[in-house]
This record gives sequence, structure tokens and C-alpha cells, in this order.
Amino acid sequence: MTQSLRESMHLVSDPANLQSSVEEVFNLMLGVDCQIVTQTTQDPREAETITAVVGFGGLLSGACVFRSGSSTALKIAARLTGMEFTEMDDTVKDAIGEICNMLAGAWKGKVPDLSANCGLSIPAVITGSSYNIHVQAPEFRLHHTYRFDDAAFEVTIICDGLQ
Amino acid sequence: MSEMRVLIVDDSSVMRKIVERALRQAGLDSLVVLEAGSGVEGLEALKTNTVQLILSDINMPSMDGLEFLRQMRAQKLADGVPVVMITTESSEEHVKQAILAGAQGYIRKPFTAEQVKERVLPLIAAA
Repeated sequence: MTQSLRESMHLVSDPANLQSSVEEVFNLMLGVDCQIVTQTTQDPREAETITAVVGFGGLLSGACVFRSGSSTALKIAARLTGMEFTEMDDTVKDAIGEICNMLAGAWKGKVPDLSANCGLSIPAVITGSSYNIHVQAPEFRLHHTYRFDDAAFEVTIICDGLQ
Repeated sequence: MSEMRVLIVDDSSVMRKIVERALRQAGLDSLVVLEAGSGVEGLEALKTNTVQLILSDINMPSMDGLEFLRQMRAQKLADGVPVVMITTESSEEHVKQAILAGAQGYIRKPFTAEQVKERVLPLIAAA
């Protein structure tokens, strides 16, 4: 068993892993293709936002964070479940938590040493407005905004500890 | 096809519905689905119900899927019933742990209905 990920830092922090994880999860589970966008027509920080966080623990500590506006969350939940939603109820929050869980699992699965030596927490889901997540002195941070149809969302991988 | 009773153990109700939909898309139309939100609930369900197939998540609060499987085997619940783990954990170590605990199949999330069909139907046919 590898006891250090430092030697694999270039693999662990490769932005392509985040991109392929998003493509995999959204294509397989929602049947949509996502594109990275540099400028969004829809601000993911609209009035009501939803954030799901799945923590990493083990050789790497940190979190996978998914954030979108409510309209995107409703679209994702609808595609995932085949149901229609008009408000961010418990099922929508559950769906967004599961999306974040699959993104975290897919991302860590890209690096074998990470896959074997890093555990995932149960998803935590936060709803509200005008909040930010701060991590002091992260080892690295990967962040992209994505879009499918007219829906936009952000995915961030924050690593605050690497053994 | 005669009635097929399946237990789906996952703390996410959304994921339980997705797995059920995938099973129906795999051709298991006459499904009777029992749902459990944790390993503890799964064990309780097996004490009073007979099933022909179990699909379980691994990462769950209160009792995870591997412990659920160990307890199920130790208590001789659902003896001989095939178990498929459906999880975001995909390392060889996790697969090994699941097999050691008594799982016959392993599906990694995210998954397609076709992958569920490929893993599940042979187990049902062999049971």
C-alpha cells in the first residue's frame, strides 16, 4: 500500500480528472453532456442556492463541493429521478447530495492510490443564499463552472491535507 | 416471469428509486421492492420478509453496507440470496472487502441500466 500521495501530486491535482468525472456522472446518470464555461449566463449564486459537500479523509483530506442555483438543482433532480419538482424539497436535496457523492467517488477513482486510501463522508447539503466556503491554505483547489442546456453549476475539489 | 422480491438498501431514497428503475429496465417487470435506509433497517426487513435479491450501498450512516452484509450472514438471514453492492467506492480493496463479506456482485456509481442488467441477471439465473 502506498503511504504517501506526495509523489502522485501531479496526478491527484490534474484538472482533467475533475472534467472527466463530471462528464461521467452527468452523462451516465442524467444523459446530458456538460461543457466547462468561463462566463455563465446564469449565475450559480442566484438568490437561492444549494451546496452539497462530501468530505475526503485518509491520505488526502478535503472536500468535493457542488453548488448551483435552485433552478439548476430542480432540473438535475428531475433528470435523475424522472419526476418534476417545483421547490427544493427533501428529494431534490437528496438528489444533489448523491450527485456530489458520485462526483467525489469518480474523482478519487481516477488515481488508484487515492481510490484505495481515501474515504468519503456522507453528503451534507446546505441551502441558503450569499455564503462562501473558506479553506485556509489549501494544498490545491480545482474549480470549474459547467453548463448543460441553460443550467449552470460549480464543482470544486479542495485539498487541505495530503500525506 | 414470477414475482421477484428485491431488497434495496441505500440511505438515499433517490438512489433507491434509480436502482429500482434500472432493475425494471433490465426486464424485471414483476418486481416487488422492499426499501431500507440503512443496514439496521435492512436487517430488520430481512427478519420478516423473504427476498430473492439484495442490492446495497456501502457508505451509509449507523451501519454501513459491509457490516450489514456481515451481520446478515452471521444471523443467517437471507441464506443463499445473492447480494450486489452498489457504491461510489471502486478500489480493489473495497471490492475485496465486499466479496469477503459475502457479496456476489459489485456495481460502481455512476452506473447505467445496462450495467445493472449485466451484473444482476446472471446472479438471478444462477440462484
